Amino acid sequence: MTDESLKMTRAWRVFWWITAFPKRVILLGLVLMLGSGVFIPSLVKDTRSDAFLPDDEPALVYRDKVKQIFGLSDPMVVAVLNDGPRGVFNPHTLALVDWLTREIAKLENVDPDRITSLATENDIRGDAEGMRVEPFWEDAPPSTQQQADAVRAAVMDFPLYLGSLVAANGGGTLIVAEVADQARAQQLYQDLLALAGRAPVGPGEVIHVAGEGAVSGYMGSYIDADAQRLNPLAAIIITTVLFIAFRTPRGALLPNLVVLATVAAALGLMAAFGVRFFVITNGLLPVLIGIAVADSIHIFSQYYEEQARHPGDDARVIVVRAMTRLWRPISMTTLTTLAGFFGLYLASVMPPMKYFGLFAMVGVSAAWVYSVSVLPAWLSLLKLRPSPAYRLAPKSDTQRVDAFGRAMTAFGRGVVRWPGLVLGLAAVVGVVGIHGAAHLELNEMRIRVFQRDEPIVRADHAINARFDGVYYLDILVETPEPEDIFAPANLRRIEALQAYLETLPHVGGSTSVVDYLKQMNRSLNAGRADAHALPEDKDLIAQYFLLYSASGDPDDFQEEVDYDYRLANVRVSMDSGKYTDEKLVVESAQDYIDRHFNAPGIGATLSGRVNVDYHWIKRLGETNWGSVGLALLMVWLMASLAFRSLLAGVVTVLPVTLTVLLVYAVMAFNGIWLSIGTSMFAAIAIGLGVDFAVHTVERLEVLLRDERLSLDESIVALFPSTGRALLFNFLALALGFGVLATSKVVVLQEFGAIVALAVTVSFLSSLTLLPAIAKVFQPRFLGCDKSAPPARANPEAMP
Amino acid sequence: MNYRSGWLLAGMLLAPALAIAAEWPNGDEIARRINARDEGVAVTRNLDMRMTDRHGKTRTRETRAFRKYYGDEKRTLIIYLKPRNVKGTAFLTWDYPDADKDDDQWLYLPAMRKVRRISASDRGDYFLGTDLSYEEIKLESRVAIDDYRRKTIGEDEVDGHHCYVVESIPVDAKIARELGYAKVEQCVDSEIWMVRRARFWDTHGKPLKTAYFRDIRRVQGIWTQHRIEVENHKSGHKTLFLFSDVDYAAGVPDNRFSRNALKRGL
Repeated sequence: MTDESLKMTRAWRVFWWITAFPKRVILLGLVLMLGSGVFIPSLVKDTRSDAFLPDDEPALVYRDKVKQIFGLSDPMVVAVLNDGPRGVFNPHTLALVDWLTREIAKLENVDPDRITSLATENDIRGDAEGMRVEPFWEDAPPSTQQQADAVRAAVMDFPLYLGSLVAANGGGTLIVAEVADQARAQQLYQDLLALAGRAPVGPGEVIHVAGEGAVSGYMGSYIDADAQRLNPLAAIIITTVLFIAFRTPRGALLPNLVVLATVAAALGLMAAFGVRFFVITNGLLPVLIGIAVADSIHIFSQYYEEQARHPGDDARVIVVRAMTRLWRPISMTTLTTLAGFFGLYLASVMPPMKYFGLFAMVGVSAAWVYSVSVLPAWLSLLKLRPSPAYRLAPKSDTQRVDAFGRAMTAFGRGVVRWPGLVLGLAAVVGVVGIHGAAHLELNEMRIRVFQRDEPIVRADHAINARFDGVYYLDILVETPEPEDIFAPANLRRIEALQAYLETLPHVGGSTSVVDYLKQMNRSLNAGRADAHALPEDKDLIAQYFLLYSASGDPDDFQEEVDYDYRLANVRVSMDSGKYTDEKLVVESAQDYIDRHFNAPGIGATLSGRVNVDYHWIKRLGETNWGSVGLALLMVWLMASLAFRSLLAGVVTVLPVTLTVLLVYAVMAFNGIWLSIGTSMFAAIAIGLGVDFAVHTVERLEVLLRDERLSLDESIVALFPSTGRALLFNFLALALGFGVLATSKVVVLQEFGAIVALAVTVSFLSSLTLLPAIAKVFQPRFLGCDKSAPPARANPEAMP
Repeated sequence: MNYRSGWLLAGMLLAPALAIAAEWPNGDEIARRINARDEGVAVTRNLDMRMTDRHGKTRTRETRAFRKYYGDEKRTLIIYLKPRNVKGTAFLTWDYPDADKDDDQWLYLPAMRKVRRISASDRGDYFLGTDLSYEEIKLESRVAIDDYRRKTIGEDEVDGHHCYVVESIPVDAKIARELGYAKVEQCVDSEIWMVRRARFWDTHGKPLKTAYFRDIRRVQGIWTQHRIEVENHKSGHKTLFLFSDVDYAAGVPDNRFSRNALKRGL
């Protein structure tokens, strides 16, 4: 397009108008940025894993019900281990357990009446005359080895406590504390670590702090802390890339203004609308930075190119000319990226991911607005200073490019020479990708977030190896009338359910009122082992509870039955928090409940952390393909509209499709799970990666149609200008996300590495596959005229 | 303000307070008067216990209760009438005045047809799932002289009756742990010397429970409480004790309090 015809366009007039009032535009931009930015301090962090499920999700509703009725949720678990010959049953270790129990009761956010340990639990013992319900020790823990041995004998004779409260070999015991407010679990975890640090630990004794309460409490802050360290690093790296690209302060700094405005708009609106900052929102920041910087890179490339070509023009003309040439590809990439994130928004059921899509859209829009207004306004105010990277060749008006441009040109020539190879390679990648994607494993294990040497990981291993496990599946048993739980038939059903569950892998044990009734029955039958069975008489069961209340606390069974004996809870302990292990147990339990347990007058519902996790990871797997498909569909629709050709849409979407398939294949072959962290990558890769294709297709179209170059000339001309800009766009994104790969958080490492890989693949495939397709198929939408003889392949045509 | 006028002012401010304090009977005097009240040697009565948990679910127990003093020794029998599945269950206690001697407790379970001895309860244990401790049930409307140091700290009114407010602190940490309280504050009726309200703080110093003693009227010349309302502030659990058909005159035969009589029921 000539300069004169350029000046006739509406775009020229718009940008001429914008640059007529540069200071007002900049001021307005800054005011809006500050206006949205002021909300950011009111952002509320929500690092609970529950936040991933909608509030009305049945798994959460039942979990909360169990919490409300039985007071059970995700507890903190403190383990005292002693691998010595007497295990924990020696005066010193028992004194330590006693001390810890009392100190934990003093901590804020712990319900002192909801602590379970050897120091709080009662022994139910039988003798010739009757039943004794007594603490394992009264005021003070045993002071002699003989007394400690007596405690050991009592505990070892109480099947209910073996594996749950005390390791079967006596080498460890647990102190389980229910957390009053899960939102403040993080502080409690730190308090417990501090307590463990100042505990009077003797030789051979080890204290561990673990449990779901600790994991969920610690995870959020662990990820947050790391992201807060890495995000600024990403910004520095991106600025460095910008400086290398343009070698001017304005080229390095002004894009950062767009970044600030983009982040302010997205996070500010989040805060203003009361949307919380979830764990995965940390991943939004590099996405926003990448998006904001991409438009700037293209604008600056064009700006410096125009300067080099028209050294005599004044700043405003240069800027307006660059913007007039570039507004179309920038707007198109904005629309396709919006479409990709809109797909994520539509397809996600989990609130954090839905909001991720929504506020990425806000950020994309803000980046576009600032890139086409504040950026040109500011540039029009600055005195022209050529970039050392863009100089004119002495004797011609063609641009003399720097080393990066020359490298890209060489790359372009390669593509023109071997288009068949490129297409063949793409086909292989596609086939391998489909194969790999089919073998992708859906899995998650929250403890994996932490590095292996984190105390919480060591604690988790140590505790789950010695005890029944600290991953809890709760089963809520409901009957219609008060005291129906006492019916022997109902109790036998619960007993059979527990017996079945305990045959499943990774189930360490289970606890219900049945276990206590058996122990009471045994006590009242002179402690005979064969009397460890359920009584057969409903009245007798009611009388057992009355008898128990004569010496136990009123709330001793509050975790097993409700007050009018209509509801009961069965707590199943698992030693693994891995999704595939939980899936087997949850699905087997549900199947058993449906087929053998539920009957008129009694019903059971799964609940607890294991069930919640199972449901949301399952949902993640179910919705993943849908959200990827929808994102691709939306991008295809938008690209088709933008290029006014369905085929152009297909071609534009092809590189990101290959990218997603290839990355899935890489994940599958490397044993990387499709999990919370990695499931987000596809939508992000599509949203970010499609830009490369849009810029490539748009530029080819312009070169072919407007500049009237031959096909080969167009392809080669594409590389030093748009190709070079895309190279820096790609470097900024890949390095920005690559920084996350150095994270301490395994999930962020995977996320960063995978997105960096995806961006790389998108960049390479856009710049190879699309020109190759153009060359081989000469599609009409690019402006190729198939009736004309094919253009002469002449990669040497360009200087 | 000069030195002398400062003292003068302090004196003027303190004088009325001292004057009023001087009018209050001291804590030990109040305790003595409480325990000097007549409680009758033997009594029979119906006792209903209505317990409510923090979710509002209730358990109701209806019983017939017998109590008799043998000097300082006290024997109590509670026979359950309702609900049906615990009907006939009987709870017998012999409380000995000697603190070192464990009390004896037996329970008869009709479904087993056996009398079972149960371990002596700690003083601070909750009585049969209610919100009063064994110690409070044992003392009925009396107070334990030796366990606390008492101080009269003010006056108040409960249900329209003038009371002295007595603050009681366990004499040492061991007693505090046994009883489960760091502090008790009682409002004692200044005419009939009965506790009308008691507030309890747990060993961590946090509010634990509040009890109201109501519907106090004379039965056969003896002031008798007919309604006790207790609320546990930590667990949200509540108990309502209702006494009816109180009879001090009928007397209770001694063989009522034997192990063998437990099986007999009413």
